[in-house]
Amino acid sequence: MKQVVLSRAAVVTPLGDGVDTLWQQLTAGGTAIAPLVRFATANYISSCAACIEGLVAADGESLMVPLLERVARQMGSVPADCRLLVATTKGEIDRLETRSRNGLEPTAADLPETFIRRVAQRFDLPAGGVNINAACASSTIAVAHGAALIAAGQASAVLVYAADLVSEFVFSGFSALQALSPHLCRPFDQQRSGLNLGEAGVALLLLDEERAQQDKAPIMARIAGWGAANDAHHVTAPARDGCGLILACRQAFGSAAISAKQICAINAHGTGTLYNDAMELTAFHSLFAEKLPPLHGIKGSIGHCLGAAGAVEMAVGARALTEQLLPPTVGCRNPEAVGGDQVGEKQQRISGDYLLCCNSGFGGINGALVLQRIMS
Amino acid sequence: MTGWIKGIGWVSAMGCGRGRTAESAPIWNDTLVIPARKDLFAQADLRFGRLDGFSRTGLAGITMCLRDAAAEEWQDKRAVATMAVTRGGCLQTDLDYLATVVEGDGKLASPNLFAYTLPNCFLGEAALRFGLTGNSLILQQDGGTEVDVLWRGLEELAWSHCSGVLAGFCEVPVAGLVCPPSGYGSLFVLIEGTPDPQAGCYGKLKREGNRLFFNDTPLASFNNLVVACLATVARRG
Repeated sequence: MKQVVLSRAAVVTPLGDGVDTLWQQLTAGGTAIAPLVRFATANYISSCAACIEGLVAADGESLMVPLLERVARQMGSVPADCRLLVATTKGEIDRLETRSRNGLEPTAADLPETFIRRVAQRFDLPAGGVNINAACASSTIAVAHGAALIAAGQASAVLVYAADLVSEFVFSGFSALQALSPHLCRPFDQQRSGLNLGEAGVALLLLDEERAQQDKAPIMARIAGWGAANDAHHVTAPARDGCGLILACRQAFGSAAISAKQICAINAHGTGTLYNDAMELTAFHSLFAEKLPPLHGIKGSIGHCLGAAGAVEMAVGARALTEQLLPPTVGCRNPEAVGGDQVGEKQQRISGDYLLCCNSGFGGINGALVLQRIMS
Repeated sequence: MTGWIKGIGWVSAMGCGRGRTAESAPIWNDTLVIPARKDLFAQADLRFGRLDGFSRTGLAGITMCLRDAAAEEWQDKRAVATMAVTRGGCLQTDLDYLATVVEGDGKLASPNLFAYTLPNCFLGEAALRFGLTGNSLILQQDGGTEVDVLWRGLEELAWSHCSGVLAGFCEVPVAGLVCPPSGYGSLFVLIEGTPDPQAGCYGKLKREGNRLFFNDTPLASFNNLVVACLATVARRG
């Protein structure tokens, strides 16, 4: 099996453009969650979300178009033989929404294939890309699939492009499900009451490690292990015992050939909903019976970026391993007792080589990635 | 990469069908009637009634496939992955949900419809009904054909801990859009890593380079696969 590395990452989030900017803001405890101005929120249970500044679409166009442009400019060129994996849950949903409000029927441009082609063209890649839709674990599963392709020698370079928007479509839905927090969300906090939505565009370049070394490409981290599993429990609610997440994490540890004890930190999904965070803590206690490693979540800073969440968090996780530092979990003022002192609003020093990133989503899906620090 | 096809089931314009009991191949390019509960399950089923048309169609295809493989009943959860390729996905459900948002400026947004505005949700329904704990994902492709999902099914089988993969396609009509090349309906196959001499299987699915073979014959479409599976049943009498 070949080793897989994360070579480069380009991120555009509500906290700014670039991994450096995001890292500085996260470590400073910043948050971009603010009153929404993109659409009226009077009839919803929340009026705040985290939106990317300066995102403006041309008439009839989706905000996904300028978002792609900003990410692509930051990313620069990618190898021409990259396999393209896109990870979006709702794609250009704002365009569909506008057309629908104007009484227009959808066209082929509203199909995911059009967006996949747009991404391929912008990165000068051939047609034939695939969108992986696994709800809020989409980009985690896409990275896992990309890593598996490289590990098996089916590809030596994979570009994962993940993006989702704050749209009235999704906002109204989470409001109807009573899943939105009216205030700043509080992941892993005893008083948490729901999530805030966010948006992001992320490009991750995965390479065969030998190729990266030959090409003298930068290496952010090794993708040492991955796993995916379904709760087989409920469509919109997580299994309370965390069975699916436990299984996904164990698979990731197995493929990384490490034990749970070697994990030095966790980047959790941490949506701020009652059930998700409780499920994750239950799963982590089951996995790390001896001692829970320091853990954090970034959704109090940039909101829940849906299909792009895992990709942003992977970029942050790689940086956390390099810096040996976990940013604060913004909003976690009064941590759940079972989280102990391993989660909170303060930065935490970490010490070790392996970091676990995990995400879960509707449909019962769970994805887990193990990142490994590469000493330069 | 190699796998064995143990079951095949579908929903087409002719209704629900499966390999071991079908008298003829399904018809895809005709009007699809979204399956009702009684087409699938004898007992009343509240959950099925809540599903959108896309999810009903996909879930019905999976149910028929598992029934065909005599794998519908279960006691312990099973490491079986589910993956489906789709072009239109749940776009019609998106439009139906949007109508509820627009109607009351958001006040009447339907939480039930919203829950099915992710195309992978029917795989979650299948997972919870049949105890399937493998990976579950929807693939939306730019180019390629619907049988590409079988490649990916074989990859999942080779690279994961799963003993089986349910792979197929699901398409329902969307207002304003032309019919996709696959036609409307759903079709799923259960691929396992080892042949099961007791339950029997239809044959061997193999990937060589960029080509897919079923019982050593090149496979270009799901129609080819159905015809070949039905021929296997006919030969066995």
